[in-house]
Amino acid sequence: MFKKLIAESTAKSPWLFHINAGSCNGCDIELVSVLTPRYDAERLGFKLAGSPRHADIVVVTGPVTAQSLPRVLRAISQVPEPRCIVTMGSCPQSGNVFRGSYSVVGPLSKYVHVDVDVAGCAPKPQAVIDGLALATKILKEKREAK
Amino acid sequence: MDLPFVKEAVKQLFSKSSCAMYPAVPSEAAPHYRGRIVYHPELCINCGMCERVCSGNAITRKVEKVEEGDKITMTFNLGSCTFCATCADFCSRHAIEFTGDYHMVATKEEDLLVSGTFIKKPPVKKPAPPKPAAAPAAAPAAGGAPAPAAPAAPVKPRDDGKPVNDPSKCVYCTLCARKCPAGALEVDRAAKTWTLDEDKCVGCGTCAEACPKKCILI
Repeated sequence: MFKKLIAESTAKSPWLFHINAGSCNGCDIELVSVLTPRYDAERLGFKLAGSPRHADIVVVTGPVTAQSLPRVLRAISQVPEPRCIVTMGSCPQSGNVFRGSYSVVGPLSKYVHVDVDVAGCAPKPQAVIDGLALATKILKEKREAK
Repeated sequence: MDLPFVKEAVKQLFSKSSCAMYPAVPSEAAPHYRGRIVYHPELCINCGMCERVCSGNAITRKVEKVEEGDKITMTFNLGSCTFCATCADFCSRHAIEFTGDYHMVATKEEDLLVSGTFIKKPPVKKPAPPKPAAAPAAAPAAGGAPAPAAPAAPVKPRDDGKPVNDPSKCVYCTLCARKCPAGALEVDRAAKTWTLDEDKCVGCGTCAEACPKKCILI
């Protein structure tokens, strides 16, 4: 019964972990603005976690640079299963304008399975909320399948 | 005992929330917001300018030969787009439009592709392009030694540094006329004519640089 209670409450409050994989900071600021009182994603249960071990949803911004890749993979591997990986902005999906640079080793989907793509450069906070809502749904399906 | 903030606290309890309440209350993007791309294939003339100016390599063009002509498929990858709208600015036919739709959330990469297809018919061949009018003026300037090229033969660059157009490649997109700093070019898309005012032309080569089909020789 106690486990059921935990499962129900974690499904309603997925915690986010944000990884900056060489982003220009545009998407990072949009993600932070999602958590401000204006858009207030915390009223929907989303909370920015300080450690990947506490997180359910990983939000990756940036084109995945050579320096950041081992750190990104290490942080993602520390997130407990089931987890949901959300790419934010065009960069982690394709490299965007940084494509072809000597230091860009993306896209992220080459290394890990990406569940949700939020397009935009940078995406609007509303689009980010939509993406996180979709990620929550996918996370619920993954938990039920487990 | 003084409680200075009680009044403010009670007021805030009953006041309206400053939150946008987004999923419950739908929100429109600001005017001129650059969101999802809408491509109008019926307006496109396949000049290729958008593909050339795209900084994120988000635009791909596929040309297939079919019976009626060339089947052209333009694909815009929103997962690679910077939404800078340079393609829309450079499009001489206004075939690319940026809408206020910002709901670009997908679980598969294919969902972020916007594409359109049209069939481009080969141009109707005209017997004589309006070239002979310019030929007598050019011949004395070049010393009379090389005869002016016949209109039907493959177009050769001229000796006097002035541009010459290859009508078999030209799509009459008017980009050269727009870029010409001297206003020496006149392009009529409807009549498919390309005329050069030789007195005005300075031979700078801007038209040849601007030409997306590389059909202007200089």
